[in-house]
Amino acid sequence: MSLLAARGVVVAYGGVRAVDGVSLDLEPGESLGLIGPNGAGKSSFLGALGGQIRLAEGSIALEGHEVGRLPAFKRARRGITRTFQMTSEFARMTVFENLVTAGHGAEGAALARVVLRRRETRRAERDVADRAWAVLDRFEMTHAADFYGAELSGGQRRLVEIMRCLMREPKVLLLDEPMVGVAPHLVAKLTSDLRSIQDDGIALVIVEHALEVVQDLCGRVIVMALGRPIATGTFDEVVADPEVQAAYVG
Amino acid sequence: MWSTFVSAVGFGVVLASIISVAAMGFTIQFGLTNVLNLSFGAVMTVAAFVAYLANSHGVGGWSDLAIGGVAGAALTLLLGRGIFKPYARRGAQLFEMMMVTLGLSLIIDYAVQAISHNNIYQYAVLPSRPFQLGAILITHTQLIIVFISIGVLVGLLALLRLTKVGKALRAMAADPDLARACGIRTGQIVVVTWLLSGFLCGLAGVVYIINTQSVGYTTGELFLPLVVAAAILGGAGSPLGAVLASLIMGIVTEVVSAFGSDSYSTVAGFGILVLVLLSRPGSVRGGQAGHTQLTL
Amino acid sequence: MTAWSYYIATLTVYFGVDVLAALSVNLQFGFAGVVNFGFIVFQSVGAYIAAVVVLGPSSGTFQQYVFGARLPFGVALLLATAAGAVLSLAVGLFSLRNIRSDYQAAILLIISLIATQVVQGYVPLFNGSNGITGVPRPFGSLPLSLQGYEWAYAGWVLLFCAVAYALVTWLSRSPWGRALRAMRDQEDAAAALGLNVTALRLQVFVIGGAIAGLSGGLLVEYIGAWSPDAWGYAETFVIFTSIFVGGVGNYRGAVLGVLLVPIVFLELPRFLPQVGYPGLMDSMEWIAIGAIWMLCLYVRPQGILPERRNRARRASGKAAIPAEPAEQMEPA
Repeated sequence: MSLLAARGVVVAYGGVRAVDGVSLDLEPGESLGLIGPNGAGKSSFLGALGGQIRLAEGSIALEGHEVGRLPAFKRARRGITRTFQMTSEFARMTVFENLVTAGHGAEGAALARVVLRRRETRRAERDVADRAWAVLDRFEMTHAADFYGAELSGGQRRLVEIMRCLMREPKVLLLDEPMVGVAPHLVAKLTSDLRSIQDDGIALVIVEHALEVVQDLCGRVIVMALGRPIATGTFDEVVADPEVQAAYVG
Repeated sequence: MWSTFVSAVGFGVVLASIISVAAMGFTIQFGLTNVLNLSFGAVMTVAAFVAYLANSHGVGGWSDLAIGGVAGAALTLLLGRGIFKPYARRGAQLFEMMMVTLGLSLIIDYAVQAISHNNIYQYAVLPSRPFQLGAILITHTQLIIVFISIGVLVGLLALLRLTKVGKALRAMAADPDLARACGIRTGQIVVVTWLLSGFLCGLAGVVYIINTQSVGYTTGELFLPLVVAAAILGGAGSPLGAVLASLIMGIVTEVVSAFGSDSYSTVAGFGILVLVLLSRPGSVRGGQAGHTQLTL
Repeated sequence: MTAWSYYIATLTVYFGVDVLAALSVNLQFGFAGVVNFGFIVFQSVGAYIAAVVVLGPSSGTFQQYVFGARLPFGVALLLATAAGAVLSLAVGLFSLRNIRSDYQAAILLIISLIATQVVQGYVPLFNGSNGITGVPRPFGSLPLSLQGYEWAYAGWVLLFCAVAYALVTWLSRSPWGRALRAMRDQEDAAAALGLNVTALRLQVFVIGGAIAGLSGGLLVEYIGAWSPDAWGYAETFVIFTSIFVGGVGNYRGAVLGVLLVPIVFLELPRFLPQVGYPGLMDSMEWIAIGAIWMLCLYVRPQGILPERRNRARRASGKAAIPAEPAEQMEPA
C-alpha cells in the first residue's frame, strides 16, 4: 500500500478534460516531479490531489483511505499540504504568526477548546511557539520572524509557505511551481531545503518548469501533455523519450 | 383573477422596459470594469433632474431624453476617470471599489437633496390617456417607453456586433489582458464604456420620471436593486440577457404587487437580487482559484 | 448645568452602544474579513425582542406585536443577545458563501433592506412602520433623580462595553483569532492547512451578531422605542465609517473611531448656527460622512490606529530580535 495512490484521475472544466486519466504511487520520502508543456494539466492534477479542484472521475487514497471526495481542509488534516503558484503567505500576519497558525491547525484553533480549555490552550501556545522557533532556526529564517510577507523576497516568501506546511508535520507536500519568482541564487538553497524535507520522510510532488530542479530533486518524473501522462520514469529516461521531446517542441 | 394577472403582466412589461434601459447600461459597465457600481442610481437621479431643468426652461420631451443621456454620460465619465481610476491605482480591489461607489452615492444623493430643497417636482411631459390594447390598459407614454427600450436594445446589439468599437468592447469584457495584447487601445475603450453606459443610465433616469411624472432625490433609490439584479441575472455584459432578465424582474414585481402588496413586491425584487448574487457564475471568490480583476 | 449633564449622559449611552456595534463589526470585518453590511438587522432584532419581552401582552388597539411576556430587564437583555446570535446563524447559513466580497457585502445589505420591508409590511410582528413605544426603563422605580438615573444607565452600558472589549480582544489574540485572520488573508491557504473556513465564518458571524443584539437591547431599554425607519442601513454605514477612520483590525481604533464619527462629528452640527433651510444641515452631514468615507479609503484605509504587528518572543521572555529590523533584506 503506497502512501499516496491516485488512479485514473480526471478533472473536467465544462466539456474539456484538463486531466485525463493520470495515476501515481508515492512512498514516504519519495519525490515525484510533474513536468510537461504549458496547458498540460499539471497544476489541475495537483489541485485534484490537494482538494482545491473537484475530481470528476478516479480515486485518490492516502495510506489506503479514499480521500478523493473530501474537501481540501479535511485532506489537510490527514496529512496532505501544499504550496500555491502565487505565494500564499498570510499577508497581514508576521512570519512567526504564519507558522504558529499552521502549528495549531484546526484542532488548536477550535473555538470550544480556546474558550473552555484555557490551560490546555496556553500550553499549546508555548509548544507551538517552540516548534515554530525550531523550524525558523532550521531554515535560517529566525531574523525574519516579525516580518510581513511584503517585506521579504519572493524566495523567502516561498520558504515561509514551505515552513508553514512543515508545521503541520505532513505526510505529503504538494508544490506548485515552487521556483516561480525565486531569484536564481536562492533556487539552490530552496532545493537543498526541499531535499532535507524529503530526508524527514515527507513525500513531495513537484510541478515545475525549471527542469534542473526536477533533475536534482526527483527520483521519478511523470510527463504530462494535454491532460494525459505520456511518459514515466527517472528524469534521464523521460528526457530521452522521443515522444516527450516532441511534446515540448511540437 | 385572470384579468388581474394579465394587466399585471402588462404593467410588468412597462416596468421591464424602464428597468431594461438602466440594466443594459449597467451590464455594459459592469461587464467590462467589474465594478459593482452602487452610485448608478444616483447618476440616474442627477440626469433626471437635468432633464427636468431643461424641460422647465421650455425644452421639449424628446430632447429631454437626449439631454438626460448626455448628462449621464458626462457625469459617468467624470466619475470613472476622476474617482474610480485613481482609487484603482491606489490598489483598491473589488470590495473597496464597491464601497467607494457607496460613498459616492451618499454624497450625490444628499447633494441632490440639498440642492432640490428635498422637494418633489412635477414632470408631466407627455399627455397620458389610457387606451385598451387587448386585455391591457396602457397609456400612450408607456407604449412609447416600451418602444424606446426596444430601440435601445436593437441599437446596442448593432453597435456590439457590427461596429469595430463594439467588437473591441466585447473583447475587452471577455479578456482585458488578451485584448491589450491584441493591440486594442484599452484606455480608449474604457472611456467609451463610461460614455455609453452613462448615456443609457441618464436615458433610463429620464424614462423613469416620464413614467412616474415626478422627480425627487430618491428617484433612483429603490430602483437600483432591480436594475442590478436584472443585469447580473442576465449575465454581465449581455444586453439581450439584461432585457430578458428585466422582463422577469418587471413581471414578477408587478404580479406580486397585484396579488400581494407593494411591500411584498419590493421584497420579491430584493429576494431575487440576493439569489442572483449567491448563485451567478463570477460569484466565486478570487484568491488562488482565479482572480476577478478591475478594468479601469 | 443639568441640561448639559443630561446631554452628556445620553451621549455616553449612545457612545457605549456604538462601541459595542463597532467591536462587533471590527471582529467580523477587521479580523475575519466578513463584510457585514447588514449589521443593523442584528442590532434591531435585539432591540425588538428586548422590547416585546419586557412589555405586557399586546392589546392590539394601541400597538400590535408578538410575545409580550413582561419579563425582567436582565432576561430581556439575555434574550436580545440570543436573538442576535440566532438570527446571525440563520442569515449566515443562508448567505455566507465563498463569493466575491463585494457581492457578499451587497447580499447582507439587501437582506437588511428585506428585513426592514418585512417588519414594515407585516404589522402584527412588531407594529409595522409605527414601531414599538412605551418600553419601560429598567429599575425606573428606584429613588434616583432623573440625572442620577441617566448616569447610572450610562455606567451600566459602559460596563458591558468593557466586558465586550475584553472578550473580543482575548478571542482575537487566541489561536481562534489567528485562524480568522488567516481566513481573511488567504482563504485557500488557510483551508490547505486544515482550517474549516465555513465554520469559522459562521462562528464569527454569530458572536458578532450576539454583541449586536446586546447593543440593541441596551439601547431600546434606554430610549423606550424602536421603529424601522429610524434604523436603516445608514446606521451600518456610520459604524463602518468609524472603523475605517479609527482603525481596521484594532479595537482601540474602533473605540477611537466611534468617538470621532458618531459622537464628535455627527453631534457637531448641533452647535453650529443654522444655515439655509431647515434640513439642509442634515443633508450636509450625510454629504460630509460620504466625503470622510471616501477620503479615508483613499488616504488611509487602515485607519488611524492600524492593526498591530505582533512581535514574537522566545521562551526566555526576551524579544527574539531588535524592535526595528536593522538589516537590509535581500532584494525582493
